[in-house]
Amino acid sequence: MVKLKQIGMQLLGLVIFLAGIQAAHAIPSFARKYGMPCSACHEAWPMLNNFGQTFKDNGYQLGNGKDSPVYQDPSYWPIMFRTTPIWHRENNNRKAVDLVPGDTTSGLVERSVTTSGFDQSGLDIITAGTLSNNISFFVQPFINAGGRSALVQSWVRLDNLAGSPWLNLKMGKFELDEVISQERILTLNVNGGSYYNYFFTPLGDNNVFTGIGGNLLGVELLGHSSNDYTRYSVSVLSSNNGTPGLTSNSTYDVYANFNQAFEVPRLGMQRIGVYGYFGQSPTYFQTSGGRPILGTGTGNRSFYRAGAYGQWYVGKFDFQTFFMHGQDNVFLGNSVPANQPASLPLGAVGPSWNGGFVETHFAYNPRFILTGRYELVRMSRQANPSIRSDAGNLDSWTLGYRWYPIMNPRAGLAWVQEYGHLLNSGAAPLSGKDNITNSFLMGFDFDF
Amino acid sequence: MRGKNILATSAAVLMLLAGSGASFGQESHVGKMIGKENRGKALYQRYCIFCHGKYGDGRGDSAPYIDPKPRDFTLGVFKCRSTPSGSLPLDSDLYDTISRGIHSSGMPSWKPLTRQERVDLVAYVRSFSAKFTEEKPGAVVQIPPEPPTSPESVKRGADLFQSMNCVFCHGKEGRGDGPSAATLTDNKGNPIRPFDLTSGTHLKCGDSDQGIFRDLSTGLDGTPMPSFTDALKPDQMWDIVHYLATVRTAGKGDRKQASIEPIAK
Amino acid sequence: MKTRYFSSIIPLVVLLFLMTRTAVRTVEAETGASLSGTVKFEGTPPTPTKINMSFDPNCAKAHPTPAVTEEVVTGANGGLANVVVYVADGLGNQRFQPPAQPVVLEQKGCVYVPHVVALQANQKLDVVNDDLTTHNIHPSPANNREWNTTQPHGVPIEQTFARQEVAIPVKCNVHPWMKGYIAVLKHPYFAVTDKSGHFEVKDLPPGTYTISAWQEKLGTKSQKITVTAGQSSNLDFTFKQ
Repeated sequence: MVKLKQIGMQLLGLVIFLAGIQAAHAIPSFARKYGMPCSACHEAWPMLNNFGQTFKDNGYQLGNGKDSPVYQDPSYWPIMFRTTPIWHRENNNRKAVDLVPGDTTSGLVERSVTTSGFDQSGLDIITAGTLSNNISFFVQPFINAGGRSALVQSWVRLDNLAGSPWLNLKMGKFELDEVISQERILTLNVNGGSYYNYFFTPLGDNNVFTGIGGNLLGVELLGHSSNDYTRYSVSVLSSNNGTPGLTSNSTYDVYANFNQAFEVPRLGMQRIGVYGYFGQSPTYFQTSGGRPILGTGTGNRSFYRAGAYGQWYVGKFDFQTFFMHGQDNVFLGNSVPANQPASLPLGAVGPSWNGGFVETHFAYNPRFILTGRYELVRMSRQANPSIRSDAGNLDSWTLGYRWYPIMNPRAGLAWVQEYGHLLNSGAAPLSGKDNITNSFLMGFDFDF
Repeated sequence: MRGKNILATSAAVLMLLAGSGASFGQESHVGKMIGKENRGKALYQRYCIFCHGKYGDGRGDSAPYIDPKPRDFTLGVFKCRSTPSGSLPLDSDLYDTISRGIHSSGMPSWKPLTRQERVDLVAYVRSFSAKFTEEKPGAVVQIPPEPPTSPESVKRGADLFQSMNCVFCHGKEGRGDGPSAATLTDNKGNPIRPFDLTSGTHLKCGDSDQGIFRDLSTGLDGTPMPSFTDALKPDQMWDIVHYLATVRTAGKGDRKQASIEPIAK
Repeated sequence: MKTRYFSSIIPLVVLLFLMTRTAVRTVEAETGASLSGTVKFEGTPPTPTKINMSFDPNCAKAHPTPAVTEEVVTGANGGLANVVVYVADGLGNQRFQPPAQPVVLEQKGCVYVPHVVALQANQKLDVVNDDLTTHNIHPSPANNREWNTTQPHGVPIEQTFARQEVAIPVKCNVHPWMKGYIAVLKHPYFAVTDKSGHFEVKDLPPGTYTISAWQEKLGTKSQKITVTAGQSSNLDFTFKQ
């Protein structure tokens, strides 16, 4: 009887704590312009819900006649900063270290190495919105922890061409149209915090294309229905991997994405989609005096990434499922220039692999979200017989939560705790055994 | 023996209370869909609370920065209805307003939300005003078939626009600059401007001819725009609708607006 | 078994008791008392402003000398007009049937006549447009249903108000100077003072009451009085700036 009472009191305490997590109030950037809370567009920022995805597809416009910058409140400041000061601890179970620290002659051995400490991600500066009705823009410089800056995204978009939401033209450096977005991922960890499928390249592959998760240079045509249930996009991209200055070569890649959402009674909105990235990458450069000349990549060989994905909403839960099949040409997979076919190892083939992930969220309320993800990549064909069949395979899982304690009219703040685990088959540097890394992270995600 | 009785009675009472779900909150009925207040409340806290306020009184955190002000649901007075002046709206009226949004105001179109979510929000909006439990909405305004437009109909409409004193608020050309325009206030005492009929901007409660006829019949409660059912016959209202079509094209803009998908009947 | 019996009897008893409290009563004339008096304004009344009705010639025509605002209307000997005098407390929870006779509010010369009208809850209000222009009758109640209707010349409008409210402002959106008031009482014991500030309430049941006097700009004053059957009592109010 007494035990029951104790458990009851503890449960009561938990209920009181949970009940105290009230609904969201927040307005950085866009929200300030329209007076809406963060939670209107974001399932839990930065992840978008359908209303926010529609707003984004509309060219950051609500379509309520008050989108033009002339309507905004004088205190609206269209620049947003994001930075994540954290404490983290990483462990790598098989890292190559000198047997005697400082003595290069002592030889390398594999040891478990642990690092920890306070850290910072760098500073994202985002300014985005409308230049006028139906012309939107997005500029995102990033200053990394070392002080070097990069232009992460920078584009202009002509929205609703011919008055139709089915025609929107984006030009510049942008993130590929992905409903499950790497840029807006809810996990921050070094190990386990990214979508590995979005960046996967097999071992021994020198393809300059590092995946659909990066920001690439090109032109995108996107269209959507008025409630965003039907969406399509087609992008033509320069295969220079997003680095401005025409660093690789003048071939063009194509990315296409089509998805359709539908409402399931009592459960909510569900969305399924298919995508494909088809491109060519150079295998060698023209040289002058032995040095490669920028932009003259040649010996192009093809590759593709394609698959399907889904977003499933069930009450306060939502699931994101993703599948990818990837294949690189034999020259890319074996890092051999296309003009030296004799250099290909015996039995060389183009590597191919399959991968995917399942991510689940529980949004207790707009200010508290739990995240879990399991991801894997399995090589189905290695580039040559000397590579172990499971080399390059990876398994990753991560668990975490985000709690948004402070929401005031200008800024948002999330308290984050995550644990991530990554297993790379055969990737230990010396023994070729499995390499396991994990990382624990806790800290703040500032958005102001 | 006694303890068992008490247990049985309280169990029965609890079951009764649990079974009579309707008594624990508002329900909304739109087409075949039923919305529940508790689901609507969670959605309201995600999407609506910042403008319309925690108590639905239109005093959310961002309300001071918005013009026109967000609606105060506690009064039970709504602009866009298909019921007579002074009457509560139908649930489908509230659903349509949430879905369509109100153009030229801070209220966006919530079409990206699922239909069930919007129906649940209607149930929660009903909970803010006791009127929804005390009163029933009035009889739906009948909209007869529209006769074809003609120069004579437009001329009659123009004459009615004058004789009904529309010009005193909306102005001679319909620009919203009539002699009374500057004095107008809404039911909260905030200044409010008559609609500029020449602008080609979407009308607040829908653009179709049937929508304009309905607005003339119901009036826009909470604003100075009155109901004309006592003053005009249906043919006369259609004349005004036809006249307004010519006023609108005198300005710029097109009348295309995303339609609200019909709810399953 | 005993408990079951009680649990069904008690609600019945409560119901019967409640019914007695809200019985509808009519009071016989012989047993009623009457209350009369004068409401006065002390000091110099504020000067009313002239109204410019030029943008509607149909209104301007009716006023060769301009009409004036009626916020504080005084008559001979400082009598204050348009004051609603009514029983604020002392009638308990009685309910009263509204009379069948409607109360009339006219729009004449683009002003409301009378400026302040009083009627019982659920008594019919007939709004009449005597002018050759279209009016828009728009009461703005706090405690009643708000409605807003256009009324051309000659078209009758009839409405009722369900709850007591002293008083509901009325406006015409097309003629912004038009202001009037509708006072709704849940009983028949009220009167509106005339130009000389005089009022009379008849057939009041004997008892002790709080009588209130409401003026649109000067607020409300209350006094207690005890009236006896067949007697006529006097009660005066004085308002200051």
